[in-house]
Amino acid sequence: AGGAEQRRPRRRPGAERSPSPSRLDVSSSRFDPLLALYSASTPLPFPAAPCFNNLAEYESFQRGLLRPRGRRSATSRRGPSAAARRGPPAADPERIQRLRSLMVNAGPEQEAAEGGATARRRRAPRNVLTRMPLHEGSPLGELHRCVRDGVKINVHIRTFKGLRGVCTGFLVAFDKFWNMALTDVDETYRKPVMGKAFYAEPQLTLTRLFDRLKLQESSGKKGADSKTVSEELALTNDSQTLALKAGSGRARAEDEHERQKRLGRAGEKKMPGDSLHLAARGEADVGSGTARTEGASAAGTRARSQSRKKRRPKVDYQQVFTRHINQIFIRGENVLLVHLAH
Amino acid sequence: MEVSHSVKERTIAENSLVILLQGLRGHVTTVDLRDESTATGRVTNVDAFMNVRLAEVTFTDRQGTVSCLDELFVTGRNVRYVHIPDEVDIRTTIEQQLQAIHRVRYFGGRDKGRKEFPRAKHK
Repeated sequence: AGGAEQRRPRRRPGAERSPSPSRLDVSSSRFDPLLALYSASTPLPFPAAPCFNNLAEYESFQRGLLRPRGRRSATSRRGPSAAARRGPPAADPERIQRLRSLMVNAGPEQEAAEGGATARRRRAPRNVLTRMPLHEGSPLGELHRCVRDGVKINVHIRTFKGLRGVCTGFLVAFDKFWNMALTDVDETYRKPVMGKAFYAEPQLTLTRLFDRLKLQESSGKKGADSKTVSEELALTNDSQTLALKAGSGRARAEDEHERQKRLGRAGEKKMPGDSLHLAARGEADVGSGTARTEGASAAGTRARSQSRKKRRPKVDYQQVFTRHINQIFIRGENVLLVHLAH
Repeated sequence: MEVSHSVKERTIAENSLVILLQGLRGHVTTVDLRDESTATGRVTNVDAFMNVRLAEVTFTDRQGTVSCLDELFVTGRNVRYVHIPDEVDIRTTIEQQLQAIHRVRYFGGRDKGRKEFPRAKHK
């Protein structure tokens, strides 16, 4: 008996004595794996179990996809090559049914466990509309709140450098690039100013924009001379600039620039007003002072009101425009910031 | 409803608001450009990068010079605004475009043809 046992591994599967069943039974305590591998009569605990080539296949099967037929042909091919792993070929419908029942049970559990985001056919659609609510907790989530609650927003639009203007409206849709679709839009903006004025120009802010607009509108309503408007605006600019940079050398230069602009806007007139202006400029060279500015401008206005007939159309490069647009799409690249109006 | 033939462009469009612009195909709109010029014409095509093709265009230069052009191509980056015509409903247009993409993607039924998102195959 001892010799037979020693020789057992070398013998061909067909020639050996059948060992006790408990040695070959997987669930018993006396299971001998080596024996089981070489034995011809190892009973399979689940003869109809599907056979897989690797863990990945098993995983795929567990996820409950596809054809039992494909699986079966794989099994039949692999069957003879494996050493003693021969199970009786189960009947097709029965096998399929069992597999199917496995799939149906595994399916909902799998879905629940993984949150439904598996590679199933009917995956949750991911498109621009479904992505909008996904940004909860981030600034884009705030944007989504605006869409949901119909909050009016102010979108600051940028020019190549700095602020261009504001669009106020209701947000309909947005995306991760901050592209936005707005409805019922009022746009307040100013064309970017170029050339020498660009260097002298203090940075456009929202306050300045609306101040200018208010001035424009109020002057327009009074039906006043448009030159007066530019005078007032220049005054505002001057006083602002001077107030901000009092005493610095730069102020003087800016003063000059402002005055030049004012003159340019007013148009060159061959009138006594001109000489007054020149005198004013001369004075400016000596020193800066608000009083002098006012004096000069007052004189200028008087002079210009006399020369109304020879008025030439002048372009106010710093004019603020307003327009209403029903529906607009804004490319996200041009958005500076979004401000929620309460 | 013409959907782009490129899978990459389709996914980019599907996940961004460019799809709204693609729904404006055939409508007459105004495109404001980055350099303050404007182009008004009929939208022929918009791709995933917001490149816009317009036909029968009135192009207003940033200086104010108006010109009439048969066709105009605007690079996506140069777009600032696109005015959406009043008769277009934003939400509906987006949904229609998404449906068009969905139809193209799942064309040919379940087990036929090359699939866009290949299902995990067992064996």
